[in-house]
Amino acid sequence: MAPIGVDEWVARSGEKREQAGRLRRLGERLNSRVGWWPRLAALAIVGLVYGQLGLNLNFQTVGFNSVLYAILALGLNIAVGWAGLLDLGYIAFFGFGAYGYALFSSHAFGNLVALQGGIHLSIVAIIPIVLVGAGIVGVLIGLVALRLQGDYLAIVTLFVGQAFVEIVNNVDPTVFGGNNGLYGLDPWHGLGGRIGTLNGYYYAALVILIMLMAGLHLLDNSRTGRAWRALRDDPLAAEVMTVPVNRLKVMAFSFGAIVAALAGIVFAAQQRSVFPTNFQSSVLILIYACLVLGGVGGIAGAVLGGVTVTVVEAMLSSPTDSSYLFYGLILLAMVARVRPWRHLALMLGAIVGFGLALRAIVGAISHAAIAGPPGSVGWIGTVMRHFVIVPTGSITYGNILFAALVVALIAIVQLRGIWRQVAIVPTVYAAACCWESRLIVDTGVTAQIVLGAILVVMMAARPHGLLGTRRVEVV
Amino acid sequence: MPLLELDGVCLSFGGLRALHALDLHVEEHEIVSVIGPNGAGKTTLFNIITGIYDPSAGDIRFEGRSIVGLPAHRITNRGIARTFQSLRLFLNMSVKENVKTATYGQTHASPVESMLRLPRARREERAVNERAEDVLGFFGQRLQGYRFDQPAYVLSYANRRRLEIARAMATGARMLLLDEPAAGMNPNETHEITELIARLRDERGYTILVIEHDMHVVEGISDRVVALDHGEKLTEGTFAEVANHPQVIEAYLGRNPEALQK
Amino acid sequence: MQIFIQTLVTGLVTGCLYALIALGYSMVYGVLKLLNFAHGDLYMVGAFVGYYMIQWFGGSSALVIPAWLVIIFMLTLAAVAVGGLGVAIERFAYRPLRDAPRIAPLITALGISFILEDSVLLLFGGYVRSYNSQNFISYSTALHVDGVNIGAVQIMIVALSVVMMAGLFLLVNRTLFGKSMRAVASDREAAEMLGIDVNHTIALTFFIGSAMAGVAGVMSGLANEPISNYIGFLAGLKAFTAAVVGGIGSIPGAMIGGLAIGLFESFSSSYVSSQYSDLIVFAILIVTMLTRPQGVFGQPPLQKV
Repeated sequence: MAPIGVDEWVARSGEKREQAGRLRRLGERLNSRVGWWPRLAALAIVGLVYGQLGLNLNFQTVGFNSVLYAILALGLNIAVGWAGLLDLGYIAFFGFGAYGYALFSSHAFGNLVALQGGIHLSIVAIIPIVLVGAGIVGVLIGLVALRLQGDYLAIVTLFVGQAFVEIVNNVDPTVFGGNNGLYGLDPWHGLGGRIGTLNGYYYAALVILIMLMAGLHLLDNSRTGRAWRALRDDPLAAEVMTVPVNRLKVMAFSFGAIVAALAGIVFAAQQRSVFPTNFQSSVLILIYACLVLGGVGGIAGAVLGGVTVTVVEAMLSSPTDSSYLFYGLILLAMVARVRPWRHLALMLGAIVGFGLALRAIVGAISHAAIAGPPGSVGWIGTVMRHFVIVPTGSITYGNILFAALVVALIAIVQLRGIWRQVAIVPTVYAAACCWESRLIVDTGVTAQIVLGAILVVMMAARPHGLLGTRRVEVV
Repeated sequence: MPLLELDGVCLSFGGLRALHALDLHVEEHEIVSVIGPNGAGKTTLFNIITGIYDPSAGDIRFEGRSIVGLPAHRITNRGIARTFQSLRLFLNMSVKENVKTATYGQTHASPVESMLRLPRARREERAVNERAEDVLGFFGQRLQGYRFDQPAYVLSYANRRRLEIARAMATGARMLLLDEPAAGMNPNETHEITELIARLRDERGYTILVIEHDMHVVEGISDRVVALDHGEKLTEGTFAEVANHPQVIEAYLGRNPEALQK
Repeated sequence: MQIFIQTLVTGLVTGCLYALIALGYSMVYGVLKLLNFAHGDLYMVGAFVGYYMIQWFGGSSALVIPAWLVIIFMLTLAAVAVGGLGVAIERFAYRPLRDAPRIAPLITALGISFILEDSVLLLFGGYVRSYNSQNFISYSTALHVDGVNIGAVQIMIVALSVVMMAGLFLLVNRTLFGKSMRAVASDREAAEMLGIDVNHTIALTFFIGSAMAGVAGVMSGLANEPISNYIGFLAGLKAFTAAVVGGIGSIPGAMIGGLAIGLFESFSSSYVSSQYSDLIVFAILIVTMLTRPQGVFGQPPLQKV
């Protein structure tokens, strides 16, 4: 971003504020009026209320996972967002915490120290032990990271993360459980009480999250927070301005490790088990997605990202909800990019018209071609039944349509102006047909594809995330 | 005893001799200018004093104690702060935060103390805030009020240079190394910078080592001038002495072709 | 001695494949300073292209046209298709991120990786396939050294890899395009201001790198490596190690690195333990990063103060 003079800057931001929609302006005004602490309190209240609603297991799981991923994203934010260190091995700290908890709440440790029955500690003892251990490991990794810059750091930490999974998988199955992991872990117990239900762990995680947000906010506005952010902007300048860069890098790793390990303790207890597959790179990518979607560097962003990714993932796993998400995203994309409004209305009308017409034509030629059932359930399914072309035995058809869809999307990016808007019409219709006939059948696989697509589009459209601000990078 | 003393300092990058047998001293409250053509080793000199490079030979002493081999942040804590030829502000942080960050070495609250807002942390934050406002106030109204919370990347070029000096001041240093503070400035701004440097010494008692190309500035502020070329000291003395030194003239203007033909 | 030669041959073959993939990594990093984590998946797509070519022509046991012709078709189509895919990915996903913070292309690459792996899973299913190349390529001894059989496929792989690497070397060092590639890698803005069409150069670089990965995929299939939608991940990781150990951004580095990693893997698998051979490769990476992060042929990161 080129440097501009003050008057121009003031004028431009005024302009931008006027152009932003009314809703946006309301949001911003609310944001600046209400202080940080009231907002945190509001979040805490929302979280508590959510737990009290007595929702079914699915909703409870989504709630728990949201809080868990928010905690993980916050921890990652320390190293990546504040100190600017690309830590791709973060998942290993999560695993450290989880396996640490497992070792002290099951018979597993017994195999290592020849103690029958293993060690079963109360949570009051486990937390300090595991967190201190995580802190030390974080320091060690940090010391290693000191010798590396940028991309090299990313590579090494990635491999450390991989190595963790390999080690836990292969080394001493009697202690670490090998492929099958460890199960039958004790629930949290101590101080006379225990937590045994999902809801219980949800509240525990929520308390941790709120305290963490408060602590990190206070840390951000202190000398340590400033030092980290300076280190991210320009490590050399920071060093010359009295910031002991090496010590702060190590601290960032260590703090992140402690947060991740804490999340691991909650995770392992709730699941009553740990498996190596809980910590593979797909999980790491999800955590990064949380951070990046929310906006790297901000506490609110990390939490929002955690919640968003969890909700999206949950929706993608259920057949009913994934349709909502799919069509919702398409509509959102069109609303966001197609201006003015009458063009959008025209386009939607054209899509409907095109679809119905094509379906009628194809149906007239061959009845079997449209006899297949749409995959969606509920009212969406009922609507789509009369709209999309789904032949019986639709797998191959769906496959071809999918391939064609990818090509069409790439082509659309190349087109401009009116041609692009024209091309969007059949493409959206094809997307709907493809969804109903093929994509919705394999929800797990589709979920991954959609998640990948969201990441790609998000980065292309708004690399600084939902709540982040544009950064100026020092080259 | 001079505040800063370089004693036979040498530095090589592979086969390239960046600095050779350099002797330099700066007395307290002096303003010394370092001049020389591009590539003479002036910025390298600053880098070696502030600990970014280690000399291959020779010693550097500040307040009588050697600072060779110390990490850069410790050298700054001892009392030497610098600005950069091509500005290196923390662009994504606000003006005030840029200055506050430089006080890190003077504060001692641990992260835990900061998080819990224990008394020492609160005390230090207040002191840091006061120091930041004090230092920024040195520049008049330019970096005051609404400027405090603006991100540094919106500042104009001249303001950025001022901010960088403010940041160096905030470190609590006694000696400032200013690397081409007037670069890219128009005559009016150059005049302001010249006054500013004088004020830094007169009002705040700084000892200043300046790299400059603009001879008006050099003439206006310097107690002493040191001329470098090819990593070696050509000469030093008052501005008049140095400006008329034949080797200095040759380094800047080249040799008289007529003189060559004779 | 027999084991030694066998291990050596295996190592060379694997090494050549890693080298080809690593070259793509290095070239892209050179011009874009981007670690394209989706690169391994391009290798996977190439393997699938080759597999379906075989099926198209009747299946491994009943090819309707001569085997050598099928192989030529496979290699060509894989090169073009995967190369084209790479160009599309660059245009679609990486170009908007030219000036974005470092983390953005990383996330995008991971997203692309997801999309590729799971699209293939969706379209073709997750079961493991094999080219069954023994049905159409005679495995009878092409070379016989000290009691060890070196098959025609292995010779072909090494020969073709060497030719491609030599060709790439000439391209980068002796042609005008190669010069523009090196210029863009050195300083993109300056290159643009000197009249080099940077977008075109980057696109072509992606094409070449991706094409080579695609060809490596086909060759790996011909060597009867198992083919599934997840093979890209591990191969990519190893080739990545090779590129980094050799010096990311350096062409000879990627070649040497690939061969080195292939040989290391082969020898540690034979003489130490096949279970831990992956960990050993990782360990090599860590050690390299700690002692000489710029790799064997790379340049240490410069910083002008």
